Amino acid sequence: MTQFIYGLLLYIFLMIPPIAALFESMMITHMHMQMPMLVISGFLMSGFLLRRSHRFFEKWNHNGIPGITLFMMIMIYWTIPRTMDEALTMQTMEIWKFMSLPFLAGMPLRDSWKKLTKAGKNIIIFIFTVKYFGMGALYIWSEESLCNNYLVIDQLTLGWGFITTAICLVIYLVYAFTVNPSEYE
Amino acid sequence: MHKNFHSTIALLVVVSFGIILLFIGTDGFKAFTEESARVNRLMEEQPKVPNVTLEDSKGRTYPISEFEGKFMFITFLYTACGTVCPQLEYNMAQVYDLLPQKYMGDEIVFLSISFDPERDEPETLERYRKAFKSDGETWRMARIVDKTELNTLLEKFGVIVIPDGQGNFTHNSAFYLVDKTGSLREVMDFTKIEEAAEKVERILEGEQVSKR
Repeated sequence: MTQFIYGLLLYIFLMIPPIAALFESMMITHMHMQMPMLVISGFLMSGFLLRRSHRFFEKWNHNGIPGITLFMMIMIYWTIPRTMDEALTMQTMEIWKFMSLPFLAGMPLRDSWKKLTKAGKNIIIFIFTVKYFGMGALYIWSEESLCNNYLVIDQLTLGWGFITTAICLVIYLVYAFTVNPSEYE
Repeated sequence: MHKNFHSTIALLVVVSFGIILLFIGTDGFKAFTEESARVNRLMEEQPKVPNVTLEDSKGRTYPISEFEGKFMFITFLYTACGTVCPQLEYNMAQVYDLLPQKYMGDEIVFLSISFDPERDEPETLERYRKAFKSDGETWRMARIVDKTELNTLLEKFGVIVIPDGQGNFTHNSAFYLVDKTGSLREVMDFTKIEEAAEKVERILEGEQVSKR
């Protein structure tokens, strides 16, 4: 229950108009802070809901694959340059962002992650690594401005943000494949 | 077995949902950026040019409706711009050269409109005009002094201008073609010079045929 409250508080905090505007004023904070925090808020809030509808998820998301796929679909959707632009200019898109990220990404992530096998988890991280390198390259080397509401320098910052994140993921993957934790116990 | 069956169904539902979501979000995988969506929308809507007053590089003031009955080939710029605008104007000059001279002035006018009226007064525009060898008649450079008028036009044509706080602007660029009735007919990629010139020529030829 404490988790639910923390999640809810984070969710409300992110919704406060000046806070939202601050995050959205820069492309990188919009995509790499506000959006993940929305996912986290959903992740925290959903523990409570998941326990209540345990049987539903056990039936339909038995192996975690449908849930993690939903999570990835939503994440991919929100990295399309256009959706980010529209979240700034259209009220409905902004509302959709605040609904979809916590409840269609954060919640299925929580239910699915623990159900995935170790290999499954690494595959997901690998997919994100590729995607982040790809998006980084797109934002850095794109000739034109991809988002009408942001400066080109914002676009470059975001591109390097993606690359840096991807590098961190690679480091993790290398660690996961080369180090056997039990040897150190 | 039974549980896997349910998971498979759920996976199919999720994937279909995702595809539909991406399909709607990109207008059927056609517009991944707001800019492409904007161009598609503009071509559909064909908005009318609002009535704005221009002040050109010769200091002449007149309403844009002066050019009614002619096609207008428009670009938006600011002269202090060091990046995309010179390229845009250079490309515009090439389109100008590619089009048959007989249409110039009578059938079509070229218009470079500044969205930075404070700095782009007639003298500055005049210097810019000379740099791009525009004749100042069939290709004019002008500013819109009235801020409200300027913003209405920019908004109608979906031109988004963001000042970066250091005297520069980030803005989207394109070639705009307005027809004789004052409706926006085409929004063209400014990097595809020949394609734009061919398109404009075809439209002008079509007009000639229908006139006869």
